[in-house]
Amino acid sequence: MNHDEWVQQIDLELDGELSLPERASLARHLAGCRHCAEARVSHLELRVAFARSAGEPHARTVPRPRIRGRTLAFWMTASLVAGAAAGWLGHSRWGGPGSEAIEATRATFVTR
Amino acid sequence: MGASVGVTAAPQAPNYRVTYHLRVVERTAGETRLLASAAVSGPPETDMRLALRAGTTELQGLLGTLPEPDTVNLAGLFFSRRQVGRSRRGLPLWEEDSYRRWSRVAWGGTTLLYPFGPPGVGQRRVVWVEITVSRAFAAGETRASEEATVIDSAVAFSAQAVIPPRRVTVRMWLVRGDTASSRQVVDLVPETTGRRVSFRLGREKLDFDVALERPEPPRTGRDSALAVAVDVVCLRVVPPESAEAARVRCGRLDDIARRVALVSGDTLMATFGWPAAR
Repeated sequence: MNHDEWVQQIDLELDGELSLPERASLARHLAGCRHCAEARVSHLELRVAFARSAGEPHARTVPRPRIRGRTLAFWMTASLVAGAAAGWLGHSRWGGPGSEAIEATRATFVTR
Repeated sequence: MGASVGVTAAPQAPNYRVTYHLRVVERTAGETRLLASAAVSGPPETDMRLALRAGTTELQGLLGTLPEPDTVNLAGLFFSRRQVGRSRRGLPLWEEDSYRRWSRVAWGGTTLLYPFGPPGVGQRRVVWVEITVSRAFAAGETRASEEATVIDSAVAFSAQAVIPPRRVTVRMWLVRGDTASSRQVVDLVPETTGRRVSFRLGREKLDFDVALERPEPPRTGRDSALAVAVDVVCLRVVPPESAEAARVRCGRLDDIARRVALVSGDTLMATFGWPAAR
């Protein structure tokens, strides 16, 4: 396993996704590789910073941003309104196919 | 007696002129107003090219008459199109249609043409064209005449006489910088041997061989159906005994000046018109 793969293992370990044998193998490697040990410290500090910025400094893992239901509903409504307005503006400016087939607009003679 | 009259009259061409009177009328919210008018006349075989555009809808048509003793059949070939939007690159997208219509009216009678379809119930804005076809006896006059007046520029409207010219009066000037020669007027017959025309610019005398040709056949079926090349002639200009390519300029018989750029750097101005009545 090369260095990059060990760094990936560090990320997985901090996410709690490694099995016991994999964690043991990583610990053995960290004991002999100063570079990887420092990388693990850096990743841990990064996660602490993320947790603090999310307002949860004692979190066990990095908290994921939550999207509130109201916020989601607001942005969906705003998108629909903006799309409808753009369609209306485009139709009023550049015209549209009309409500009837073009055959219905054929010229017609009417004799008096 | 009646038989003898028939025998003597048959070989002669009908000696009358047909006239199309047009009035473009709009009715909005109960108020009727005239948008444009036109009068197109010519010998019996004269057709009329009609163009009308309002908003994003256009109509082009070629109308012709099939005369009968007391009535006249007015036949029309129409091309309409309307804008249905724009492409992603901002180019207009059009929906097109073509069809034929005809109407039978008495000479001097009026038929209404609803260019954008018959009016619907409760429709606030209706546009129609009143077409009156009449004839007046006039011997030997073969020139066409046309006049159109647009009162409301919101509607683009034109009416043109469509008749192949047998003889054309060509008026020409030679222009070099700020100097122009005197005007030369020649009557030319299309597709025949041309004439040699001389111009004087100061002390210099310049000769040109000029001839009239028919234009190239229309490239599209639409242009062919609308007879766009029928009433057009092309002036062919070349110096005598010269190996250089002839200069050609095409146009209708509308007395509008057209420029022919010559190889020498001079400009030949030319107008095409109908010959005076003989």
